[in-house]
Amino acid sequence: MRAECINSFYRATQDIFERMMDLKTEKAELGVVEEMIAGKEANVVIGMTGDLYGSVLYSFPKEMTLDMVKIMSGMEMDKLDSFVASALGEVANIISGNAVTYLSEHNYSCDIVPPQIIVGENKSISMATDKALKLTLRTSIGNFDINISVKEKK
Amino acid sequence: MWKEKYKIGVERIDQQHEELFRRVEDFIKSVRSEGEWELKQEKVKETLEFMSMYVVTHFADEEKYQQEIHYPGYEEHLQLHIRFKEEVGKYVARFNDTGFDEELVQEFGGKLMAWLIYHVAGADQKIGAYAARLGGGKE
Repeated sequence: MRAECINSFYRATQDIFERMMDLKTEKAELGVVEEMIAGKEANVVIGMTGDLYGSVLYSFPKEMTLDMVKIMSGMEMDKLDSFVASALGEVANIISGNAVTYLSEHNYSCDIVPPQIIVGENKSISMATDKALKLTLRTSIGNFDINISVKEKK
Repeated sequence: MWKEKYKIGVERIDQQHEELFRRVEDFIKSVRSEGEWELKQEKVKETLEFMSMYVVTHFADEEKYQQEIHYPGYEEHLQLHIRFKEEVGKYVARFNDTGFDEELVQEFGGKLMAWLIYHVAGADQKIGAYAARLGGGKE
């Protein structure tokens, strides 16, 4: 796993959270996990193709997701419905798109496939992947994880 | 939904953005309002049409403004507008195919909101920054 990859996703997340939700993000933890598990209630999986291929899983707690959508919409949200899930999926999609742009600055040409949104805790996102890097980020409305499992095309 | 920080410092564009946000908000509110989907469908269709019409008007005006100031990112920005109109068009076609399925309209609402905020808080700010360098926008 290349540092450029995790840094690109971190940089993109920081920028998008700040720009779209006025939220500061900071690294809380970084570690290796044996498999990608949707550890929180609202999850978005984004596939990556190209020089780096695999998948990225964003995992958010329910309350944090509702707060994020509330900040964007100015409306109260009380459940993880299609509207909330779709807004979250689009935020993750935007972050991933920007991360891919940053990766191109490091000469990695990659693409992303549209997000898949999974509501529900502790579902194993089995894609026969190897270990994943799990980055936990801290914000004022909660912590969330970005799991990255990509390989470099030989 | 509208926030002052979304302003780009060009009055006519900012006014249009505020109006666009208002119309998207009206659409989302109608989609998320209490009550039977069948009963609120008319209102949803009306606000969707009202919003979509304004998107076309606003994009055209914004593109015209970019040409007036010889904005160097014009072509790239134009592609964003084209892609967005295509996306909306695809959803509208699916609405018609599915008999205006509620889940699909909710999904569209969430995506539309996030996309609009990202676009106005991101790509459009670059137009404002360029205009400011020309002496026409905010510092």
